[in-house]
Amino acid sequence: MTKFKILLAIVSLFIGYNQLSAQETISPSRKQAIDSLALEKVRDLSKYISIVGNKDTPWSEANRVIERTLELFADGAMMGVSSINREEVNYYGVREYLERLMALNYDKVNIEWYNIQYISDLERQPDGRYVGVITIYQRFEGTTEEGLRYVDVTKKDITVYVERKSTQVAGRIIGFWDVLLGDIRVSETKPG
Amino acid sequence: MRYILIAIILVFTSLNVEAQGLNSKLVDEGILNASTKQVNQFFRRFNGEESTKGERYYPGDRDFRNHSLRNQYLNLIFDAQNNSISSQLKRDFVNQVNSQADPQYIDFHSDGWFAEVTTKFLYQGADVYITLFMKLEQENLGYKWVMSNVYFPHFKNLFSSVSSDPPKFLHPMSHEIDFMNLIRVFSDKDNVEQYIEKESSPDYLSMFLYELKKGNLKYQSVTNLKFHFFQINGWYFELANFNRPGANSGWLISSLTKLESETDKEAIIKFIMHE
Amino acid sequence: MKRESMQTVRQFVSMRLVMMLILAISVGGSMTSCQSQKKLAKKKAAQELAERTAQAKTDLLAIINDQGQMTLEEKEFKLNSIKRMNLEDQEVKDLIVQAEEKISAERAALERKKEEERLAREREAKDKGQYSSITNSLNAVAGARDVNAANIAIREALLQFAGEDAPVLILISQEGETKDYDEPTTIRKYLEYLKDQKKVSARIINAEYDSNGKIKLLELQN
Repeated sequence: MTKFKILLAIVSLFIGYNQLSAQETISPSRKQAIDSLALEKVRDLSKYISIVGNKDTPWSEANRVIERTLELFADGAMMGVSSINREEVNYYGVREYLERLMALNYDKVNIEWYNIQYISDLERQPDGRYVGVITIYQRFEGTTEEGLRYVDVTKKDITVYVERKSTQVAGRIIGFWDVLLGDIRVSETKPG
Repeated sequence: MRYILIAIILVFTSLNVEAQGLNSKLVDEGILNASTKQVNQFFRRFNGEESTKGERYYPGDRDFRNHSLRNQYLNLIFDAQNNSISSQLKRDFVNQVNSQADPQYIDFHSDGWFAEVTTKFLYQGADVYITLFMKLEQENLGYKWVMSNVYFPHFKNLFSSVSSDPPKFLHPMSHEIDFMNLIRVFSDKDNVEQYIEKESSPDYLSMFLYELKKGNLKYQSVTNLKFHFFQINGWYFELANFNRPGANSGWLISSLTKLESETDKEAIIKFIMHE
Repeated sequence: MKRESMQTVRQFVSMRLVMMLILAISVGGSMTSCQSQKKLAKKKAAQELAERTAQAKTDLLAIINDQGQMTLEEKEFKLNSIKRMNLEDQEVKDLIVQAEEKISAERAALERKKEEERLAREREAKDKGQYSSITNSLNAVAGARDVNAANIAIREALLQFAGEDAPVLILISQEGETKDYDEPTTIRKYLEYLKDQKKVSARIINAEYDSNGKIKLLELQN
């Protein structure tokens, strides 16, 4: 009986190990699909930010969009912002960042993307989730009612958490990639 | 060679840009493309695992770790404004790293590299800078960054007394008087380290955690970051971020040293760690 | 005089002998050189054959082990030129068989892919028609000129669905049997997403209806 238990333990150990190692690598084509999905979330975020920052957006709409924006993020994600003249990083919660943006009340907000992005490898964390960083460059232009214009070009390094999950939808098992945005490092750049 | 690569990058980028009708940003985007935007990208470029268009190459792809591609990249990943890296030294390094017979690569998950993070804390009400040394450690099937050492000048100064005149010690018959003379040791805080054994050295990391847990240290921010690499046989290089105009920006090699022996390597590590 | 002439004759004879001897030697010599030339040619031919055979083997192995560096046409061209050499080497013959198998498998896979693509195109064209009403509703939301118009379009679109919570699945990649989706959402949230993002980037690949003819599940592909 004990022998049987030991054998069972060894067998289950091997099965467990195989399952884990089977998940270890993501093929390049699947990785590319996850990359585009993550990049899509980043673009969604950018769109939400322009809606929230725009004065023409009704208050209730802005609040709804803030809620939708927060759904893109993992709990407790923060923005760390620095500028050319200040080496240290100022931290904001995502909600705080969005609410500040709403309070700024630019007459017009224009966020332009540079056609350059860099998507890192997906690295595995100790908890089994994958993590990567997407780097994008954006030109932010806010114009106030008085015609005051604020322009900056920032590099945004956006943490992306990726986890394979499955759920049951209408009797079907659906395997999906749960992509959540994490901390965002915002640094002002002088690309020249 | 370098200019050829920049030209190629610019041509590719300008094609993309024109397709998007964003001619006004043409130069900017070429520069952003050339800039080494992440440490991850530094690894890919160093190893020749990325096309000039920025596409990832995987093992099995025709140009994965291609010799001439690597040659181009390896010449681009130095801080070009740093005169202390002579072109001869650079050539020697590139020739060894990209030799046809025995090419060498850097590896994210392997030992032989670590981060130096400068942080700002509030210590007893005043701003202080503390350097954290961090390395990657495997746990389960994943990895994490962990603190391996810390440099805080304040801690270091606490242990500066190595000798005094007259020298301080507990005489060898102190045990016979039940160490009653310890009173002299502990009333002289400045020289107390003279009474500890020769081999023992202060554990700054534990002291750091102690001060943090006692509430004496309050974290403010990261102010600087660089990396030290010892993965290439016989070489040390430092990687730093250059946020500046132009294509020679982003993560670049900011220092390069040829190591003649293991002693050289230890000396450099000691220097980095302020030991 | 007689003796003298005799001597001359003897000399003459011996001269002839020497000459003949020289001639004989030289003829014999040229005969042997003719033989060695033939040998040389034979050796050269054998060497050439060996080289051709070795080259053929290399080419065949390149075909057999190819991971996509050569086009199918290149492989077929190479194989045919090797076959035209009619090499007698058994190893070459075996390799030809293997290369033929590989090429015909690749050819079949290519035909299969072409057929699949054709079917997919057909399906897509059909889907366009089949789901045109839903597609139009989605486009109406994304293309609405302001928030009010978008909200009206959302209300209208929802009429086609069993409820606001009808699940929406977005397929992002498929590798064999493994399908990867984005996180499942609901039709209400998806329509609001279209309103905010002002674009429809996914196309409809499947819709399931309930007994009232309302959509109870929508499947999209990015």
